[in-house]
Amino acid sequence: MALPLSAGLTPTEVAFLCEMEMVTVIPRQRLESISLLSGPTPALRPPHRSPLPLWLALLLKRQRRANILPPPWLLPLSLERILKYETETSPETFSPPPPHPHPISARPSPSDSVSPPFLPSSTADAPAGYLPYHWLELGEILLEACPDDIPDSGRVRGLLRDLREVRMAKMRGSVSAVEGGGVMSLKGVGAMEVAEGRGFIVGVMDGLRKLGSSREVARREREEEGGAGGGDDEDEDMGFE
Amino acid sequence: MDDISDILNDVSRNNDPFAEDLYAPRSVTQSGQADLQALTRAWVNERGAAELLPWPKDGLVERITERIKTQIEEVEVMTGDMDPKTNFGLIIIQTEVERWKFLVRSFLRARIAKIDKHTLYYLSSPDLQSRLSEMEVAYATRHQQLLHSHYLGSFLNSFPKQLQNLNDTAGGISMIGGPDDDSGVFARALGSKDGGAAPVIITGRGRDGDGEIEVARGEVVVARWADVKDHVENGEMELV
Repeated sequence: MALPLSAGLTPTEVAFLCEMEMVTVIPRQRLESISLLSGPTPALRPPHRSPLPLWLALLLKRQRRANILPPPWLLPLSLERILKYETETSPETFSPPPPHPHPISARPSPSDSVSPPFLPSSTADAPAGYLPYHWLELGEILLEACPDDIPDSGRVRGLLRDLREVRMAKMRGSVSAVEGGGVMSLKGVGAMEVAEGRGFIVGVMDGLRKLGSSREVARREREEEGGAGGGDDEDEDMGFE
Repeated sequence: MDDISDILNDVSRNNDPFAEDLYAPRSVTQSGQADLQALTRAWVNERGAAELLPWPKDGLVERITERIKTQIEEVEVMTGDMDPKTNFGLIIIQTEVERWKFLVRSFLRARIAKIDKHTLYYLSSPDLQSRLSEMEVAYATRHQQLLHSHYLGSFLNSFPKQLQNLNDTAGGISMIGGPDDDSGVFARALGSKDGGAAPVIITGRGRDGDGEIEVARGEVVVARWADVKDHVENGEMELV
């Protein structure tokens, strides 16, 4: 009954999440609107484009009822630009994530706190040149399911592999920042990269915390004795960026 | 020709007293989608945290279970008058139902795993117990009773009376183990509750020093669970 998995999503669970991302399809057959639990689907009328969740788009694709329009960021030109940014402009940190599609206005709205996979970051109108949170899974799934819909799919495959290698090195390198504890930012990281790196990074973090716990307690006591003034100086040399 | 949504609407109005709520024209998109997002977030959070998180307060799980139940009833009705046109729609509906069922099941199982691991801990104070749903409290209590009587029967009985407790706190050390509050987690900022685009401010504790860090909306950080726990529970952050 109880779930035998340790904390954190597994790669298969991440892929499941990724299938909730919205993509744009070009239907090849008419299909009436269907009342799903998450709301009615748009009625499909070829050749009008419609946004659909990825799992449904894959189902239609497999039955040759629709084609999937690849998101603009997955095109070779966009991937080349990102790869250049990752290797030359910013060899230490990840390239920035796409801007949030729902800018915050003065009035609070429910869309303010929407996060991936429910952001439309992989539809046909998504911006090019940014890797969205589910980039790796989405790219792999689309290459697997519909290589015929992606222009120059061989090149895309190669670029995705290059990006993955560059970014994996960054993920591994980030462990050195974890050493002193504290909070470490991984801005621009992808879901699959988190799932892969979790065991290692959290393991290192927890191990070092346990080894250094007496030192941490001693420091805290020292700071309490020395008052607030002493504490500020020590903040300088900690693991924060 | 009736399309599927018409059929669904007719059927649900006849059978279900809550049909007006569930199938009101506008609220379908909004609340169904909103519930899915809330459940997905609750699931990912629960899978990420070492500790049991509070049971969703607004009846989310009950509402979703009810939705799934209604949808399955629709499917049963629809399979009665099968024609090839509705057949494919049926496959789509069933696929979606299976996806929702997976989410609910995985969410509940992740919670049961945590309750199993530290049963006495979650039953030990009213504050912790309030994190469990009614059914989970019943489950945990029964689980603990069985375990205790098993221990009594197999070995505790032959111990001296003062050593038979399972929740001894003598000597300042509690026998009841809890989850590791300081374990590392990956968390994403969703935006400050103070409004607007203000970043979420986390006070992080480290080995060599403590300090504050600003986390912009959408940014992912690695931190200790205890440092982001409050932000996750008030909706300023989510685990990933």
